Amino acid sequence: MHAHHSILCITPPHMLQEIVRNGSPTQRDIALQTLITSEQIRGQRRVMKSMAAFMATAVPSGNKERAIYDVKNGTQLPGTLVRGEGDPASSDPAVNEAYDGSGVTYDLFFDIYGRNSINNNGLKLESNVHYQKGYDNAFWDGKQMVYGDGDEDLPVAERLFNRFTISLDIIAHELTHGVTQYEANLAYWDQAGALNESMSDVYGSLVKQYQRKQTASEADWIIGEGLFTSNVNGVGIRTMKAPGTAYNDPVLGKDPQPAHMKDYVRTVEDNGGVHINSGVPNHAFYVTALELGGNAWEKAGRIWYKTLTDKLQERSTFQQACDLTYEAAGELYGVNSLEQQAVKKGWDAVGITIGGDAPTGCLSTILGIFGMKAPAEN
Amino acid sequence: MRIIFERTGGIMGLKSRLTINLDELPVDQSRNLSRLVDEANFFTLPKDSSGRPAPDSFQYTITVETDTTSHTVHTSDITAAEELRPLLQELSQRARSQRGSKA
Ligand SMILES: [Zn+2]
Repeated sequence: MHAHHSILCITPPHMLQEIVRNGSPTQRDIALQTLITSEQIRGQRRVMKSMAAFMATAVPSGNKERAIYDVKNGTQLPGTLVRGEGDPASSDPAVNEAYDGSGVTYDLFFDIYGRNSINNNGLKLESNVHYQKGYDNAFWDGKQMVYGDGDEDLPVAERLFNRFTISLDIIAHELTHGVTQYEANLAYWDQAGALNESMSDVYGSLVKQYQRKQTASEADWIIGEGLFTSNVNGVGIRTMKAPGTAYNDPVLGKDPQPAHMKDYVRTVEDNGGVHINSGVPNHAFYVTALELGGNAWEKAGRIWYKTLTDKLQERSTFQQACDLTYEAAGELYGVNSLEQQAVKKGWDAVGITIGGDAPTGCLSTILGIFGMKAPAEN
Repeated sequence: MRIIFERTGGIMGLKSRLTINLDELPVDQSRNLSRLVDEANFFTLPKDSSGRPAPDSFQYTITVETDTTSHTVHTSDITAAEELRPLLQELSQRARSQRGSKA
């Protein structure tokens, strides 16, 4: 069924209309299902946004406050509290990694951008470890971070993934999804979703660089370093420096990320390829940071932060992200400043021109074909 | 009975797919899967409970076909019904242990 989705998506508009008119019930069903899903996404996001606003006011402001829960291989969230703020280290490395990692992430956002936690109002940073058994993933559920143990239950020779708290940038990636939810609240599909993903990779990498005190040129720009076991031919799950080259493995396949708009992947899987096409804005950030030199979190990170918190909106596109980072750089450092020029170079490198008209995503295209508008802002 | 399991999303955005023909399994495994399908009340589950996509969570599509009926369920880590979770976990485990082989 998902294979059909992909075919549908790359089908030229006139052929699609033909399918709707003359297609089999199944074909019509697929098209309609796509629309229904999009509509649900739109409705529920509104609810989430009002919930987020409520939570922001309900939680008093405060300092760094962390809580780590052990899900004990189950799925009930949150699990059992095992380490609160200021508690001594645990004998469980996953607990300590989640605690320390969310701490460093808090520090970067607070020290450099003056942000007090995920909601900028002292929201408690809640992390859950040991989610399920053999869960090779980590996610942000809208309120808390959740980490699996990778392939801990398989024989060593078959393991591909270590526990997901092992990479600081994965922890910072998940926490940044929380920041994005409270700020631009970028929809989690198509280009807005890829921008959401990219913001998480950007600050994921910056938190690691901040902890290691590395400049842009010293940093590896790898996401998920240490996550793969030695059974995998790869350095991490993504690379912002050279998207598409993080891994090439007989079991996992090849890193599918594009580094340029000409290789943009049109798909409806993975919410429109949010983890694939994030390679484009990721690389734009990398080139900008390299161009600026020094610590990437200082200038490039500040430009992107201003864009995330003041400018981007739920349905923003790559083109808008390009134009708005450029605008933010102008406001922070001056029009035609070196910083603003660096942003331009960053986007030029991935085939997006300031004020241009880069193509948008797949689901939006489908909605358009059916005479429907993409979900409106707010 | 035949079960088709598909997982997409996750922090890597990778897709995995698994097809199981229960007739081809050892009888204890086949019985176990049938039991999990029963206990999930699979054929009465809503078609789509995938909800708003939570960043990096997995999305699942499960189809169960018998001689007389077929039902497909879309769901996610966040929104899966409690009674479906044991089946989801079992299918995820099977998909993981067959990684790399074309299912
Ligand atoms: Zn993510």
